Parts: sequence; structure tokens; C-alpha cells
Amino acid sequence: MTALLAASAACERETRRFHDEAQPPAAGGVRLTALEPGPATSSRALRHPYEDNAWAVSEGKRLYSQFNCAGCHAHGGGGMGPPLMDALWRYGAEPENVFASIAGGRPNGMPAFGTKVGATQIWQLAAYVRSMSGLVPKDVAPGRTDHMQVKAGEQAAPEAVPRNAAPEPPAP
Amino acid sequence: MRFRAFAGAGLITAVLGCTDGNGGDAAASAGAAANRTRVADTTAIASGSGAEWTQVAGDDANTRYSPLDEINTANAAQLTLAWSFSTGVNRGQEAAPLVIDGTMYVVTPYPNILYALDLTQPGAPTRWTYRPEPLAAAQGVACCDVVNRGPAYADGRIFYNTLDAHTVAVDAATGREIWRTRLGDINRGETMTMAPLVVKGKVLVGVSGGEFGVRGWLTALDAASGAIAWRAYHTGPDADVLIGDRFKPFYAMDQGTDLGVTSWPPDMWRTGGGGVWGFISYDPDLDLIYYGTANPGPWNPDLRPGDNKWTAGIFARDPDDGAAVWFYQTSPHDLYDHDGINESILVDLPWQGRDRKLLLHPGRNGYMYVIDRATGEVLAADAFGFVNSARGVDLRTGRLIPEPSKAPVTGRVVRMICPAAPGMKDWQPAAWSPRLRLLFVPHQNLCMDHEALEANYISGTPYLGADAKYYGGPGGWRGRFGAWDPVAREWAWTIEENFPVWSGALVTAGDVAFYGTMEGWFKAVDAASGRELWRFKTGSGIIGQPVTYRGPDGKQYVAILSGVGGWSGAIVSADLDPRDSTAGAGFASAMRDLPQHTTKGGTLYVFALP
Amino acid sequence: MTRFVLALQWSGRHSALDPAGPQAARIDSLWQFLWIVSAVVLAAVVAALLYASLHRRRHAEPEQAGAGTRTVVIGAVGLTVVILLVFLGLNFGTGRALTIPPDGAVQVRITGKQWWWEVTYPGNPPSYQVTTANELHVPVGEPVVVELGSSDVIHSFWPPDLVGKRDLIPGETASIWFQADRAGEYRAQCAEYCGHQHAKMALLIVAESRDSFDRWLARQRDSARTPADSLARRGQEVFLASSCVMCHTIRGTPAGSRIGPDLTHLASRRTIAAGTLPNTRGHLAGWILDPQRIKPGSRMPANPLAAGDLEALLAYLETLQ
Repeated sequence: MTALLAASAACERETRRFHDEAQPPAAGGVRLTALEPGPATSSRALRHPYEDNAWAVSEGKRLYSQFNCAGCHAHGGGGMGPPLMDALWRYGAEPENVFASIAGGRPNGMPAFGTKVGATQIWQLAAYVRSMSGLVPKDVAPGRTDHMQVKAGEQAAPEAVPRNAAPEPPAP
Repeated sequence: MRFRAFAGAGLITAVLGCTDGNGGDAAASAGAAANRTRVADTTAIASGSGAEWTQVAGDDANTRYSPLDEINTANAAQLTLAWSFSTGVNRGQEAAPLVIDGTMYVVTPYPNILYALDLTQPGAPTRWTYRPEPLAAAQGVACCDVVNRGPAYADGRIFYNTLDAHTVAVDAATGREIWRTRLGDINRGETMTMAPLVVKGKVLVGVSGGEFGVRGWLTALDAASGAIAWRAYHTGPDADVLIGDRFKPFYAMDQGTDLGVTSWPPDMWRTGGGGVWGFISYDPDLDLIYYGTANPGPWNPDLRPGDNKWTAGIFARDPDDGAAVWFYQTSPHDLYDHDGINESILVDLPWQGRDRKLLLHPGRNGYMYVIDRATGEVLAADAFGFVNSARGVDLRTGRLIPEPSKAPVTGRVVRMICPAAPGMKDWQPAAWSPRLRLLFVPHQNLCMDHEALEANYISGTPYLGADAKYYGGPGGWRGRFGAWDPVAREWAWTIEENFPVWSGALVTAGDVAFYGTMEGWFKAVDAASGRELWRFKTGSGIIGQPVTYRGPDGKQYVAILSGVGGWSGAIVSADLDPRDSTAGAGFASAMRDLPQHTTKGGTLYVFALP
Repeated sequence: MTRFVLALQWSGRHSALDPAGPQAARIDSLWQFLWIVSAVVLAAVVAALLYASLHRRRHAEPEQAGAGTRTVVIGAVGLTVVILLVFLGLNFGTGRALTIPPDGAVQVRITGKQWWWEVTYPGNPPSYQVTTANELHVPVGEPVVVELGSSDVIHSFWPPDLVGKRDLIPGETASIWFQADRAGEYRAQCAEYCGHQHAKMALLIVAESRDSFDRWLARQRDSARTPADSLARRGQEVFLASSCVMCHTIRGTPAGSRIGPDLTHLASRRTIAAGTLPNTRGHLAGWILDPQRIKPGSRMPANPLAAGDLEALLAYLETLQ
């Protein structure tokens, strides 16, 4: 029975969801700080629609290069834009934060891709971006690059516990 | 080591600013007033006072030579810190401060604050501060840190460019904005980082953005009003490039009609790069400006068959109407981001028996060009470091001969290409001593692995098409400061440095040459021998341009901005992660130990003898 | 006879048995020869088998291999070796003839992408370069050298009516040449499994007279013009303001991405989606709205455009002749 369950989970990991029409995160649901008035509320958690899906993360990796993300952020090490493989997240590390950064842009130079890229692809990109610092399950992160090997595969990325991220990562 | 102080000094005519006393040409009526003032200023330098430093390169010829000799090889070891000033901005400080009439003008990287410091008061308090407040989003389309290479001065006004592609004119006395002209659009990736040059009442400025598929240009603004007088594009039809009857390029490869269109795949000239972000020089006798054009876009050369005119080359133009007079392409069909933007230093030297008006251009592709600046003929092009990406320059055709085994191929990793994309020498400007007849060249020694990739032009996003990682070249050092003898066509001496020497150079009549290192050392060396005379550890790595001036108290001062950054220092200033060896377009991997040697900063240091 | 039997099944625009050029004819005649010889050998073997089974001995007897048996064995082995050597020699000769291109051939570069073909005719000067997709035009009776490359995975170029297969390998350049002797339309197909939509990765080859080829090439050099018609103009705005601009090039506009096919002359092409559908307004509309229904896994995402915007976009795309 356990084996069957494990096998079915593995199938889910590989499913190619061509017909998805993912929705953007609900407006107002994106928090940028852990600070709030009154007693702390348990925040969270919007489930990332693709973080358990290897195909979606690999699509994110393809789009990351094709939409010129790599031109600014390199392959995670940064350049014109900040690094994405480290633990520092200026605008939050949660999937909805990353989605908001891509879709809405950020004031110091991040363009707003939301007018030209659909929600499904942005979620795929967000999943890939999080994979660079080990924030998606190891078994869905891409294992290698088909081009010049410039760093270890995302699968080998050590989990970088987000710093300056908001809201706080949920307790295990 | 060859010491040749004073040797044949009488024969040397260094082109130190205007010698044309009738500079107030009637044709340039609009800027006639500005013109006269500027001529007066530069004449002051030419006459040898050296009291002020009125333009980033010291003079129109771009020599960075000062006739001041109070600080000399005998006493430089006693230099001490006179005062310092924090700019409040911790990004790469590539600018040169200007000194005019007892006031020092310092421009910072984004947000491009301009400070006027009162040199007549102890500790140089701020006279006024001007904040242009450029668009924050411009930081996202600035390829190589958010630097600014300095202001220009003429007629009581300071001119400089803001990162979001505006040129501003500020009253030098009050800090009031006189005009502001928008010249580009950050949504097309257009930014401005270079230092303007003011010639005959025109402010000459260029655009950056070869990594974003801009269509490069040089623009002349009326210094009085800020109105655009002319704009010369560096791709496209001859009419847009301001190529007309006067255009006489020396080599056949640069001759033809509408080469800016026909040497590109269809319509790719519209996004072909070729900006201007280096320094401009001016020869008042020939009445020509000289400047280099930047790399073609995208980086992947497979995507743009053809020579890609007029990128990666040197233009000579008439400053009045912008008409092109000659062009020489240092890297036709550039393979490695080897821009032609490096400065052209105008010198008059006896060359093979006769006096010639020359232009020295230490090229990014690793060749030291000696060019006849009247005609554009290349007289010599010698490698000044280890080059394996090319076999040389064919002086008959003028063409660089690429090494086929190092040519990029889409989808293939080509290893050990030397020099790497930043070239043998990047923007960091060299200095020329007319006394010693030596060129002081800060440069680097980097090679790279490179894979050309598909590139997608999406305006406002990078247009590169390459992955690369750089590393130190043969020899185990990554930077060098040396004195090149253009007549003997070899180094007189060199000093090897651990990191690329990304600062500019300065040389004085006291035969002292100054430069800074990325660890933060500011050094004075004997210009004749390369012997180190003095060093001072500043707060951050140095990538700025040293200047010297005589203060209101009559003493000679040397000033440098310290604050690591730029393309080479972005690993510190932008906290890049070197676990990814393509970070910073590949530069971070060559600089992965820099964070152990320096931290961010942004401070002006001023030195003098006690 | 053989040709007739097989051609019944394989007739149409995709057949190695209906050669349209000298290369395919050579391959075809080699194949015919191999087929006939193999058929004769098979017939002989079957006949020998039948003979042997009909004349089998009634009783098992100890047996000595006689001189006759040895002769038969040696003869059969020798004949086999000779036949195989002849096959080898013919194969080698055919391969050589197909490999070395003549001078003065038309040059084309084809880049394989998941799952379509980018076709580029280099220009001299470079501004004469032509880029199109999924449609290769060639002049009749002239040799054509095709340079093959790939920007993602290994593909294989296979126009059976004209020549054999050649792989497209990322980072490498291969080449193949062919000549079409009959005007007409032929079909090439990716012949190396390259992912989800490998099957729907076809290339239309149009062989035409030199004159009409030159006219086609000259037309393809033009940039797209801003349409005069107001609906189409609005369509251009839709194109530039939506996700189209992230992936496609239309020369003459700011759209310059190479992820998807160059659309500068989309309306001049006969098919869309790499030979999947005829290029009609209805098919185009369906393709734009939801490519995943037509070609699941295609790199093109669904584009839920408002009806008016779609109408305008289609009007614009139809102007791209």
C-alpha cells in the first residue's frame, strides 16, 4: 500500500498540466512584513500550484532563460538584478511574494511582467526561482543544465532559510 | 626601464586643450559666449597653471596630465590625507571630481547627487547639493552597476547625465537647475553613464545600453538651452549616422553606402547597440571630436552576420554639425563584447621620421592602436597583453584577424578566450605624460569560457544571448598598471596587481603617476620607473578617476573617489553570489575573493603634502 | 509492381518511393536493388527449405557430411558474403554521392526547435537575409545545401521525397544537400524523437521555378508595414501589448523575440503550427486562443483574448503577407 501511494505521488510529480489556467494570488493576500498590529495572526498559506510538479519547475527554468530573466539575475547569482539563490529576499520569499514581484515588478528596476505573461507561466517561473535556493522539494527541482555548467543543479541547492522574508516561514 | 624626462621635450607638442585663440567662431553663434569662457579655462591649463581640473580627463586631448609638480618623486612618500567626504552612496564610484574656482564638484552614482564643496573653507564644507531624482526603475536597465563617470563644466554651468537618460545643466554658483533634457527612454533600456564633453557651446553626450538592444547615438545639446543640436546614430541609414560628403574612412571595409543597414540582418540595426559611454576627445586644430562606439547587440555574433557598422569602432566628427569625417572599426562583427568605447588620447609625436598628429587607443580587444587622427590610418596595433582571440591586425586592410578556434558558436562552450568580454582594458582611462612620452594604462588580465545562446529582444529586458565566466589569465595576476611606450611599441614598465586595475590613471609634471586598486589602495608611483613611492588604504575599493589641482591655499592636492562597484566590483556593491559563475555576466566568478578584501563605500579622499 | 503495391499505401507528399530529385532517386534505386536481391534470396531460401522438408528421410540414420553438402554450405556462405559486399559497396557509393554538394548551391540554414523549424536564407549583403518558419522554398533543378542546427534537443531533418535523414544537434552544424527536379510541395518531418509534439513537427517544402522563388525571396525581405486599416492597426496594438510580443518577431515593429516563429510574413505561409493546420482565419483563431487543445505541450500558452481584440489581431495577422 505504501509503495502504491509512493508510486502515485511520483506520477503526480511528473504530470504535465497543459490545460491549466492558474489564477493569480488573491489581491491583498500578499504580505511583505511579519509586523502587524495586535497579536500575531497565523498567516499563510496559499499553496503554490506547481511546487510539487517537476515538469512545471522545468518549464519555469526554460522561461527564465527565454524571457531574459537570466540577463539580469544570471543563473541565480545576480548581476543587474539581485541574486536569487541566496537567503535574502527583499520582497518576501513566499510563492505569492515571488509571483507579485514578477507580475507587478518592483520599484528599483524589476519590470512588471504581468501585462505580458499569463498567471500559469508566472507560477512556473516563481516555482523555478524558489528552487534556486532550495525552497521546493528536491525531487521536483531540475537536476542539471543542458548548457554550460555554471553551478550545481537546483536539485543540489542547499535550502537557504529566507532572511528578511515576510511573513515568517511557517513552523514545521 | 628607460628614463627619458625632458628628452626631446621641445619637439613634443602635447595637445593640451585649445590652442586656437579665435575659438569664438561666428558659425557657432548659439554657444559663442559659452565657447569663449571654456577656451579661457582650458588655456589656463595649457599655460601651465594646472590650478583647476575643469574636465574629467583634465583636457580636451584626454591626457590626464597635470603640469603641477609640487608633488614629485622625491616627496610623494610624505603625502597625507588632507580631508575626506562621504558621498552617502555606496555604489561604484567611477566619477572624476572637477575643481573650478575654489569649488569641487562631485557627482555620485545613482541617485546622481551633485555636491559642490567649498575648498576655501577648512574641511571643504558643502556649498550646495543638487538632487536630480532620476527614476528608480533606471537601476534595472543599467548593465554594469549604476555608475556615473563625472560631470563637465563650461560657462558657469555643470553638465552631467543622470542614469534615467537625462542631461542636466546646473548653475555652478547656486546649484539651481538651469535645464534638463530627456534624451532616452528606460523602457527601451536607454541609460546614460558617461561624462559629457563641452565643445564650442555644445554638450556632447551618448547613450549606454548595448546589453539592452538600444540603438546607440551621440547627441549634441546646446549648452545654453539644452535643445538638441544634432544626433548621430551608430546604426541605420547614412542620413541618421550623419554620414555625408565629408566622410572619408581610410579603409575599404568602412566605405560604402548605408553600411549601417546593409551590414546587419534585416531590421536588426534598430536594436543593434553601439552606444557611447566612454570619453570624448577634441582636437581644436583639426576641429574634430573623437570617440568610440560600444558593442553590437546581442552579444551572440551568430545572430547578426555582417560587420555590424558602426559599432565597436572609432568616429571622428565635426562638433558643429556632427558630420562624420572618418571611422575605423576596431572589431568588425564583434565576437566578444569588445566595444570600441575606450578613450582616444590625442598626442603629437614624431613617427617614423616625421611629426604626426596621432591618436592612441588602448583597445578593449587587446591591441594598442596608434592612429593618424587626421585620416584614420592605423600606424600600429600591438597586443599589450595576452591575446588568443585574434591573430593580429592586418595593417593593409585595417581588419582585426579573428582566431577561428575561439569564435563563438551558438550552443557550444568555447573555453579560454583571452581577453574576456571586459577586454584587456575596459573603461578605465589611461594617462599620457608628454614629458616622458609614456602612456599609463590601467588594465586587466582575464580570460573566459563562453557559450553563445539564442537571444530574444524584449524591450526593457537584457538582450545578451551568451553565458560566460571569467577567470584570471596566464601569469596568476588579474590586473596591471603599466607605462606603454608608443614609439618603441612595448611596455617601459608594468606593475602586476591581484585584481583588475579598474581605476583611471593620472600623471603629473612631477613625474608621479597615480592609480587605485580594487582592494582600496591608492598608489603613487615613479612615472619613469614604476617604483612605488607611496600608498594609502582607503575605505573601499577604488574604481574612480584620480585628479589633481592647486587649492586656494596654493598647495597641490590629489583627489580620488573610493567606493568599489562597477562591472568588476558588482560582486561587492550588489552582493552577487559567486556560486553561480555567470553572475555579473561572468565577472563575479573572476572576483570571488574580492569580498574578503573590501566592502562597499563611497568616500572622497583628498591628499596633500604636509 | 513493388512500387505500385507500396505506393498505394504511401502515395502523397511524404514518400521515399516517389523520388522527386536525384538524391532521392539514388536512394530509391539502391533500395529497389536491395529489395529485389533480398526478395530473390528469400525466395531461394524458402524454396530450399520446402525442397528439404518434402524430401526428408523416413528414418533417422547416422549421417556423414558428404562432399555435396560441404559444397552447398561453402557456396551459400560465399554467395552471402559476395552479396553483402556488393550491398556495402553500393551503400558506400550512394552515401558519397549524397554527401558532397556541388558548387553554387542555394544555401539555407534550418534550426530545429521544439516543435517547429526556423528557416533562414543567408543574405549578401546580410540585410538580404530572410527568416521564415516551417516552410522551405527551393528553386527547381538547382542543388540546395541545408545547414542544420538545433537550439534545444536533437532533431532530424527528413524530406523523404528529396533525400534521406540528417540529425540536428545542439552546438554542432551538420549539412545535407538535395535537388528537387519536379515542382510541387513536399513534406519533411522530424525523424528523431524530440519531445511531446515530435509528431507534429513538419516542414513544408515548396519547389518552384527560379523566377517565382526569387519573387518569393524578395517579398520575404520586406519588413511589415503599419496597416492602413483601423481594425488591423488596433490588432497591431493588441499584438504589441499582449503576450505575443514576448515570443515572436514581426520586423518593422518592436517585437523581436525568437522563442516562437518569425511572423513578419505569416499570412504568406500555407500552414500554421509546423504543418499541423492549414493557415486559415478560423484555424488561426483557434490556435491563438488555445494551442494546448490542438498541440498539447506546445510552447505557446493559451491567450484568452476578448472577442474584439481577437478580431482585430486576426485582421492584423492577415495583413502580414
